[in-house]
Amino acid sequence: MAGLPKRIIKETERLVADPAPGITALPHEDNLRYFDVTIQGPDGSPFANGVFRAELFLPEEYPMAPPKVRFLTKIYHPNIDKLGRICLDILKDKWSPALQIRTVLLSIQALLSSPNPDDPLATDVAKHYKENEKDAQRVSREWTEKYASA
Amino acid sequence: MKVHVKNWHAIAQWRWDTGAADADDDGEGDVCGICRVPYEGCCPSCKMPGDDCPLIWGECSHVFHMHCLLQWIGTSSSKQQCPMDRRPWVTAERKVDRTNNAR
Repeated sequence: MAGLPKRIIKETERLVADPAPGITALPHEDNLRYFDVTIQGPDGSPFANGVFRAELFLPEEYPMAPPKVRFLTKIYHPNIDKLGRICLDILKDKWSPALQIRTVLLSIQALLSSPNPDDPLATDVAKHYKENEKDAQRVSREWTEKYASA
Repeated sequence: MKVHVKNWHAIAQWRWDTGAADADDDGEGDVCGICRVPYEGCCPSCKMPGDDCPLIWGECSHVFHMHCLLQWIGTSSSKQQCPMDRRPWVTAERKVDRTNNAR
């Protein structure tokens, strides 16, 4: 593709050659700004042993604007809605061009370990997490087993 | 006509005086934190490194290609903050004025 910024090429090379633990990101051959992503559920979280698929797109303005990331695998998490959209500050108003694809994906992985029901996107899931965390985690584990087993 | 370079002799080398003591470390220390091209290279919108694509120093001690930083500060989402520490960006005058430093 013509005019792919050097920064994107460098980031892609490093993601492929030296991937972050539990994370893969592969660009589409016909659109090098579009990545197929997998994120392993962190150990000790209700998402452990799950492999979650996501898509990541680098808009034309990147790195002045954040990447767009969406989960493709169903996940029961207070900050991720039915459409896979993610509520995470660095993907919105806390974006900085010093962040990278790698740091964004690591932050999303960390979000799986520490759900934040006080800043919900999936309000019903957040309510469940706030009212009965144990039971909500049980559902998260069930969904992980059902939809995210490798 | 085809020209082949058979050999060449380097007679000089230049480097921005970024003020960083560890400018020689091979980590990510000497690249612009925005475009990730070395300071001695140029920002994505320039072709020629050097005085045409200078660096800019912040009071917070962070250094970027000037064009990269100005583009970021020009976006509303930057809130005029340094990309590294999110402190309000204040350009440090002392280094920018001493352009001869770069030669």
